[in-house]
Amino acid sequence: MSLKLENVSKSFANKLAVDRVSFTLEKPGVFGLLGTNGAGKTTTIRMLLGIINKDSGEITWDNHPVDRKTVNFGYLPEERGVYPKTKIFDQLMYFAELKGMDKVAATKSIQEWAKKLKVEEYLDMLAEKLSKGNQQKIQFMTAVIHDPDLVVLDEPFSGLDPVNTELIRDLIVELVNRGKYIIMSAHQMATIEEFCENILILNRGKTVLQGNLDNIKASYPANRLKINVHVDIKEYLQKYHLIIENQAGHNYILKLQDEAIAQKLLSDLIKHQINLDKFEIMKPTLNDIFIEKVGAQNA
Amino acid sequence: MRDILTVAKFTAKDLIGRKSFRISTIIILALIFVGSNIPNIIKFFSQDDSSQTTAIVDRDNLYEGTLTELPTEEHIEVSQASDEELKQKIQDGDLKNAIIIHKTGNTVEFRYLVKNLVTAGIETTNLKTQLEALYKDVQLQKLHLSATELAAISPHFAVSMEQTDEAQIGGNIYAMMILSCVLFFAIYFCAFQVSSSITTEKTSKIVETLVTSTSPKSIIYGKTLGIGVVGLLQILLFVVTAIICAYCFMDHQMLEQLFDLSNFTPYLAIVTLIYFLPGYFVYAFLYALTGSTVSKPEDIQSANTPVVLLTMIGFYLAYFTLTDPTGGLNFFAALFPFSSPFCMPLRVMMGLSSIGEVLLSIGLLIFTCIIVAHIATRIYSNAILNYGSKMGWKNIIKLYKEK
Repeated sequence: MSLKLENVSKSFANKLAVDRVSFTLEKPGVFGLLGTNGAGKTTTIRMLLGIINKDSGEITWDNHPVDRKTVNFGYLPEERGVYPKTKIFDQLMYFAELKGMDKVAATKSIQEWAKKLKVEEYLDMLAEKLSKGNQQKIQFMTAVIHDPDLVVLDEPFSGLDPVNTELIRDLIVELVNRGKYIIMSAHQMATIEEFCENILILNRGKTVLQGNLDNIKASYPANRLKINVHVDIKEYLQKYHLIIENQAGHNYILKLQDEAIAQKLLSDLIKHQINLDKFEIMKPTLNDIFIEKVGAQNA
Repeated sequence: MRDILTVAKFTAKDLIGRKSFRISTIIILALIFVGSNIPNIIKFFSQDDSSQTTAIVDRDNLYEGTLTELPTEEHIEVSQASDEELKQKIQDGDLKNAIIIHKTGNTVEFRYLVKNLVTAGIETTNLKTQLEALYKDVQLQKLHLSATELAAISPHFAVSMEQTDEAQIGGNIYAMMILSCVLFFAIYFCAFQVSSSITTEKTSKIVETLVTSTSPKSIIYGKTLGIGVVGLLQILLFVVTAIICAYCFMDHQMLEQLFDLSNFTPYLAIVTLIYFLPGYFVYAFLYALTGSTVSKPEDIQSANTPVVLLTMIGFYLAYFTLTDPTGGLNFFAALFPFSSPFCMPLRVMMGLSSIGEVLLSIGLLIFTCIIVAHIATRIYSNAILNYGSKMGWKNIIKLYKEK
C-alpha cells in the first residue's frame, strides 16, 4: 500500500492556498506535515481526505484515486468537536457505524480503545461533562476505532497534559507497529522529530523543504556545541570567540559557526586536563531548520 | 442508503433525547388537554344555578301570566319582588340579573338590573327578543284572529343560500383552518430543526469529523429524514391526543357542528400525508442550506429569515385565498410548490381539484424538492467548513459555483 500526492493545488477566490504539493508514503510510519498557521496544511489534509475538491493534481492510494469508499481512513481534526448532549458511547457507535462497522464489532472496539485510553468510566456520560483532555481522547478514539489503514492526526497533542501526551504517544507507536500509515501535523517540532522519518514543510502553500528528516538534518552543518564540565571554562570560550546561548552552572550550550573550532577547543580542554562530562557537537534541530525556512518569510 | 439511515437514526434519537424537545412536547400535550377541558373548567367554577338565573318581573301584568311559557334556554324565574329585594339577591349572587317590565304610555320598558354593567352578558338581548315575541302573541290572541289572518301577519321565514360558482364546494371551514395550521406547524417547525441541528454540529466543531465519515448528501438526507420522522410522529401524537381529548371531554353535538369531518376521507388523508412529505423536505433542505452558512447559534435566526418569509408567504397565500377557493389565486397557490402543501389538501377537502391537478401539483413539488436538495447539498458541502460570520447571498452563490 502507498499514498501518493502529485502536484496537488487548490485556490480559494483566486488565492493559491496549496501550490503543487507532492509527497509519498511508501511504507507504514509517521509522515510530518509542517507549516505556520495558514501555510496550507489543513487544506492539503482536507483534499487528501476528500472533504474539499482539489483544483489539479493526483491523490492516489495503491494507485487508485482516493475517496471515502476506497480508503479506510481515520481523522483527528485540529478543530476538536464532540456532540455535547450525547453519550460518549452513542457518538462513538455512530461514527463506527458510519465507517461501516456492525454493532458487535463496534462495541468490542469501543471497549478496547476506551481501556487503552483510560476512559471506560466515561462511556455512559454526556460529552459535555468531560474535561477537554478527555474529550480529545474521545476524538482520538473516533479516528482509530474502525481500524483504519491511513490515520491523519492534526495537532494530536495540543491541549493534553504530560500523562495523556505520553498515553497518545504510546498509541501512535502501537499504530505504526501495526502497519498503519500516519500523517501528522504539529507545531511542536520535538514531537515531529521523535516520530517522523519523512517530513514536508509548507509555507504559504508552497513546499519549502521535504525529504528524510535525518538526511535533511545531515545536510545542515552543526550549529551548536554542548559542554558539561565542573569548572569555569569561560576563558577558553572567549579564546575561541564562542558565544554562550544558554548556561546552567557549568553546563553550556554555545553557538557554533565552524566545527573545526569545536575540535580545537576540545584539544585545548583535554590538554589542560579539564574533565568533561559531555562534549557534543550538535546538528540543528528541526525547530532551527523550520525557523530558517519559513521564519524569515513570515517575520 | 445505509449511511442515510444511520444519520437519520442518530438524529432522531438525539432530537428525542433533547430536554427542550421533550418539555415542549409535554407542554403542547398539556395545552391540548386543558384546551379541550375549558368548557368543563368553566362549568366547574360556575356550578351554582341560582347565579345563572334571570328574574323577570311583570309589574303591570302585561303578559297576563304567560311568562312561564317564555320559549328560552336561559334560566328564568318569574318574580314579584321589589327592586331592593332584587338588587340584594343580585349582589349576594342568588340572581344573575333581573328584568323589570312595565308600560309607560305606548312604550313597554325593559329595565335591567345587573351586578356590573361591564360584565352584563349578551343573553339579555336574546331574552328581549323572546319577550317582545311573547308580548305580540299575547296581544294578537286578544284580537281573536283566524288562523289565516295570523299566518298572514306572522308567516314562517325560511332562509336558504345558493352559490353562483359552478363548482360544488364542500367541507367545513373550521376543519380546513385546523388542517392548514397543522400542516404549517408540522412543516415549519420540523424543517426549522434541520437548520438548528446543522448549525449545532458546526458550532461544536464535530462536522469536520462527520464529513470525513460520510458524504454531505447522506448527512443532509439523513438529518431531514430523521427529523421528519420524529416531527411526523410528534404531530400524530398531538392529533391523536386532541381527538381523544375532544371525544372524552367535549360536547359531541357541538364538535360535530364545529368540525364536520364527513369530508375527511381516506383519499384526503393520503393526499395530506403525501403533501406533508415533499412539502417538509423542500423547506427542510432550504433550512439545511441556511444552517450550513452560519457558525454561531445566534446567527441562525437572521440566516433563516428569507426561508421563514417564504414559508409565511406560502402559508398565507393558501390561507387567505381560502375565502375565494374558486378564484385564480387559490388555484395558483395549489400549484405553486411553496404554498401547495398548505393549499391543495384543502382544495381536495372542498372537492375542488381533480386528480390531474393534484398529480400536477405533486409533480411540481417533487421537482422543486429535487432541485432544492441538489442546491442545498452542494452549498452545504462547500460552506460547512467555513467558520466565521454569517455569509451573504453573494458568497452563497459563489459557494454554489465552486467545484
